[in-house]
This record gives sequence, C-alpha cells and structure tokens, in this order.
Amino acid sequence: MKKLLRRLFLLGALAGAAYAARSYLQGKSPGKETVQIVFDDGSTRALASNTVEGQEFTDIARKILEVGL
Amino acid sequence: MAERSGAGSTEELDRVLADLRALSEDIESCAVLSGARDLLSSSHGPGVDRERVGAMLAALVNLSERVARENGKDHTSQLRIDTDEGHLLLVRLDGGGALAATTGPEARVGLVLYDMRNSRGEVEKVLAEGSNQ
Repeated sequence: MKKLLRRLFLLGALAGAAYAARSYLQGKSPGKETVQIVFDDGSTRALASNTVEGQEFTDIARKILEVGL
Repeated sequence: MAERSGAGSTEELDRVLADLRALSEDIESCAVLSGARDLLSSSHGPGVDRERVGAMLAALVNLSERVARENGKDHTSQLRIDTDEGHLLLVRLDGGGALAATTGPEARVGLVLYDMRNSRGEVEKVLAEGSNQ
C-alpha cells in the first residue's frame, strides 16, 4: 500500500512537471498574439488573435510595427 | 524627427514626444492622433508614409471604439496589442485623439503604458493651447 502511494505521488509529480513544461513552452512559442482593451469605466476585454475581431487589430498593428510611427 | 499638421504647437508636441521617448527607453516610435483622426505628430523616420501610418492608426482607434460600443461602453481608454514583432500601445486623449507608441517584443509594457498615461496630460494641454490660439 505504501509502495503504491509512493508510485502515485511520483506519477503525479511527473504529470505536474510535464504540464508546467508544456505551459512554459506554449507561453514562449511564436504566434501568441493578444489584444487587450481597457474601457473608460476601467473594465477590460481581451481578444485572441484567432478570433475575427482580434485578427483585425493584430493585422493593422503588425503593419504599423513594420514601418514604425 | 516629429512632424505635424493641425492644432497645437509643433515644437511643443515634438518636445512632449521626445521627453516621452527619453523617459521610456523601450519606446521605439510614438505619435499623436487628433480627435479628427489626423496625425498631428510622429517620430517616424524618413521614408515612412505619414498618411498611411495615420490612416492605420485611425483604423485602430475606430475599431477599438466599435468594440467599446458593442460592449455598451462610452469609449476605449487604452489599447494594447501584443504581436511577435512587438507591442502597439494606444492611450486615449480628451476629444477622441490618441497617443500611440510601438515597442519591441521584450519591452516592459506596463512601464511604457504608465509613462504614456503620465504624458497624456501634457499632450492634451498642448493640444488645448493650440486650439485656443
């Protein structure tokens, strides 16, 4: 029983480490583009670039970043 | 070198943008757009099509205002767009204009936005003085 618990604990730790590594790599991977809008009342809205709305913003932003202001 | 047309003092707007860039080293370029969507001042280099940049900035401001309306808000006060190439930041000015800046991908964006919000008052003051003349 004690051995089984130890193995389960080890398995959990490995799964946690794998998940953390995956999250870290996803965070650093290219293609992560986001749009954050803050409204006058302080509320915010985030748009992912894989949405039509978000892509409209990121397309224009990329062009501006290319040439500068 | 900054350029401008429209209300406000050219030198004063240039100075405010230069001060902002000196304060916030992560800013690569910055500009001021009027409420009528005219590019009043920008720090772009030679060879950059001013009209095109002004039109793209105006399109972004219009898009953000559309999202605000769709969400039942009066207007957008700040816009942040993160891309692989860098960040594009917009802070709304009184009268519907905007202070815009671009940074590289590794910039400390929170700090840049803080500096932009601090410079906003000065930009608004210059624009108000220009429109009173």
